[in-house]
Formats: sequence, structure tokens, C-alpha cells
Amino acid sequence: MAFPLPRGVTASEIAFLAEMETVTIVPRQRLEGLELLGGPVEPLVPPRRASLPLWLALLLKRQRRANIMPPAWLHPEPLSLILEVESGHQDYKNAFSPPPPLPGQPSVLDRGQEPTARPQYTPDGNRYYAAPPFLPQNTAQPVNSSRDPPSLPFHWVEVGNMLLDAASDDLVDPDQIRRLLKDLREVRMAKLRSGVEVLDAAATGGGGVALTGVGSMELGEERGFVTGVVDGLRKIGSSKEQARREQMAEQRANGGYDGTQDDDEEEDYMEF
Amino acid sequence: MSYYDIDSILTDAQKLPCTFELEVPGLGILEGNPGEDIKAGTRIDLPLWLGEMLSIGARLGTSRLVTLDMPEALSERVMNALKADPRTIDLRALAPHFYNLSERILELFEEEEMVEVLGDTFKKRAAEIADHAHNSRGAVGDGVDFLRGLDETERQLFRAAHDRAKDMRIWSGEAKRK
Repeated sequence: MAFPLPRGVTASEIAFLAEMETVTIVPRQRLEGLELLGGPVEPLVPPRRASLPLWLALLLKRQRRANIMPPAWLHPEPLSLILEVESGHQDYKNAFSPPPPLPGQPSVLDRGQEPTARPQYTPDGNRYYAAPPFLPQNTAQPVNSSRDPPSLPFHWVEVGNMLLDAASDDLVDPDQIRRLLKDLREVRMAKLRSGVEVLDAAATGGGGVALTGVGSMELGEERGFVTGVVDGLRKIGSSKEQARREQMAEQRANGGYDGTQDDDEEEDYMEF
Repeated sequence: MSYYDIDSILTDAQKLPCTFELEVPGLGILEGNPGEDIKAGTRIDLPLWLGEMLSIGARLGTSRLVTLDMPEALSERVMNALKADPRTIDLRALAPHFYNLSERILELFEEEEMVEVLGDTFKKRAAEIADHAHNSRGAVGDGVDFLRGLDETERQLFRAAHDRAKDMRIWSGEAKRK
């Protein structure tokens, strides 16, 4: 209670985490390779593109030493397509547009295919599967094939906002992008909030709300509210849940369900 | 519910109508005349924690001291009003800790229907709260009457949603830090 910060992750903390995303830049000056904690940075040679963490790219951009190539999804066309899917498509009335496919995951177009994820190995020989933020989802050309429909990466709000702030002159039609991002956010937040209607099913067990494709900033923003609603519903329903548990325990004690059980239960109830 | 939870303590202090089943000597202090006896059949409003303790004797096999009644905040009349339109009810006027109280009451009484009604109310009002919380004008504007009628649980919900939305707006530069 006395702790001054709100519970959960704040917006600026989420943005800080998003600065680890890799983006593509076109350097304007030479820079020797850097050995950073997060891994080495390749030497920058002016006309050649390079991939850097977002924070370093923003730093170089502010010093006018590089231009940032906008991520593949941060263009007006893919964004308006996603917005169309989110707001108009029948299948996505209550769902979010699918996230970018993981490596090895079959694309949305050929459903039913087996995923073929190839594991990677750490220097110590431990096996792992790469996941965001270690996937180049914000580079100018994503590694996965271009026939995939455009999709919003996990950190889309943060990356989009920061690039609009610091590198709007590198983007194609920044005003329209800003408008599209705002519209997308509003559509998706409305969906997230309308999820409270089905949350009680999630609270009493059995139900659930699909959050596939929700970005980290959106999660951070709605976390306090959604968990509060679930908790409230759980408390209201706890007496019912308790009764259900007792009934189940009773059934188990009586040796499973059989035809005569209904009568027994009725008698017990009358006694009670 | 933690031991030090102030809301839980305040919920315990909410009054519940009780009827004494037995004559209790010397307990007239509860009724406001110390030194007297309490007659059987007297109706007194007792705090939740006390009423719960006194009525619990029935479960232990001894004859019970008091019987509990539904508090006014959860009466049939209120339930019907909530069924009709949850959004216009001033829950705060009924009980400042309406949901916490009803949670405790539902532990004592078996009321299947009340669980349904309250769950539905909570959901509908939560959706309304979310709308108000994301309104950049905050708690001023058209929603003042509704927001004044929120109970304590709902206020915390509103605060969580509102603070987050504000935090987000400040970060993205739409609003100024105050």
C-alpha cells in the first residue's frame, strides 16, 4: 500500500524493455564494432545496412550519424490492412490479428502443416528456441517469407511510438502512420475491455480469454483492470465454487457417479 | 484477504440485523441500556464479526444465540433493482464495501440466485468503469453520478485502470506530467 509505484510494469519500463529490439539502420558515418553486454555490434560502414538494438539506433539517429529503416510493418499499407482485418473481418471480431509467426511456424496461409522449429544452441551447448525480443521482428526486411500477411510484433506500440518520436523523417508518411497506430490501439483496447463479458467464465474455471497477438504495452495497460475484475468475480462466486467442490468431494467419497446418487443428494440437501 | 487489509476490517464492522433467540442476562449494553437483560426475540444490528460468532453456535450443535437476517443492502428489493439496471444503483449508499459484504454474506447464506445477480452486476459495472477510466477527463464530466456510487472494490478497479491509462498517455507524450 505504501509502495509509491503502481503494481506491475509501468509504461516507461515496458518501453525500456522494448529498446532491446533489433532495427535496421543505414549509417552515415563509420563506426568500429562494439562489444556490448547484449552481444557484439557489427562495424558500421556507411552505405551498408546494419542491425542494431533500438536504443543504440535512436542514439545514433539523434546524433545524426545514421538513418533508421522503418520496420516492415511500420508502413501505411500493412497498418491499414491490419486495421481493416481488426475492425472489419468476421473472424477477428473478438480476437486480435495474429502475431508474427515464430521461426519454423507454418504461415497462416498453409494451415495444418507441422511446425518445424529448429533449435538453436547457446555457447554452453544448451538448447533453446528463439522468441521475442531475440527475433528480428522490427528489421526492415523480416526473415520470414514476404508472402505472410503483415502482423504486429509484440512491442509494436513502443517501437512505433519511439520511431515516430525520434525518426519521423525516416518513415513513409508519418502523419498517416500516427493516425493508423492510434486507430489500431483504440480498436484493440476496446476488444480487450469487452473481454470482461467473458471473464467470469475464466474466473470460475473452464473458460478463458484469448490474448494471442496482444502487445506488451497493451498487456501492461490493462493488467490492473483485468486482474481486478477476475479477482472480484472469483470472490463473488467463491461460495458457489465452495459448494461445487464439496459436492464433488462427496461424489468421490461415495465411489463415483451412479444412478442412485441423485436421490442420496436430495436427501442430504433436505436434511441440511 | 489479509490480516492487515483495512477493507477487510471495515467490512467486518458493517452492521447486520440479528434476532436474539435466547434471553441473555446483562448484555443489554448492546441495545443501549447497560445492566439490563436482552429478551429473546429482540432485533439488534450487530457488526458482522459479532453476529457471525454468535450465530455460529448452531453449527457446533448447541442452540444458537442469534439468527442472522439479510442486511438491507442485499434485500430482495435491491436485488430486483440490480436485475433491472445495475448501472443506476448507488452501491456506495447501500454499503461502502458492498461486494466484500456480499461475499461474506454468501458464505453464510446459500443464495444461488444472488451469486448470479451480483456477478452480472459486477461485470456490467466493470465495463462501465473501464469506459470512464479511459476517458481523458477522468472523474469529471458526465459520469460523476455513476462514479460517486462505486463501492470500494470498484473504486480500486477504477483507480487501477485510470492510473494505467494516464501513465500510458504521459509516456506517449499525449498528456503532461502533473
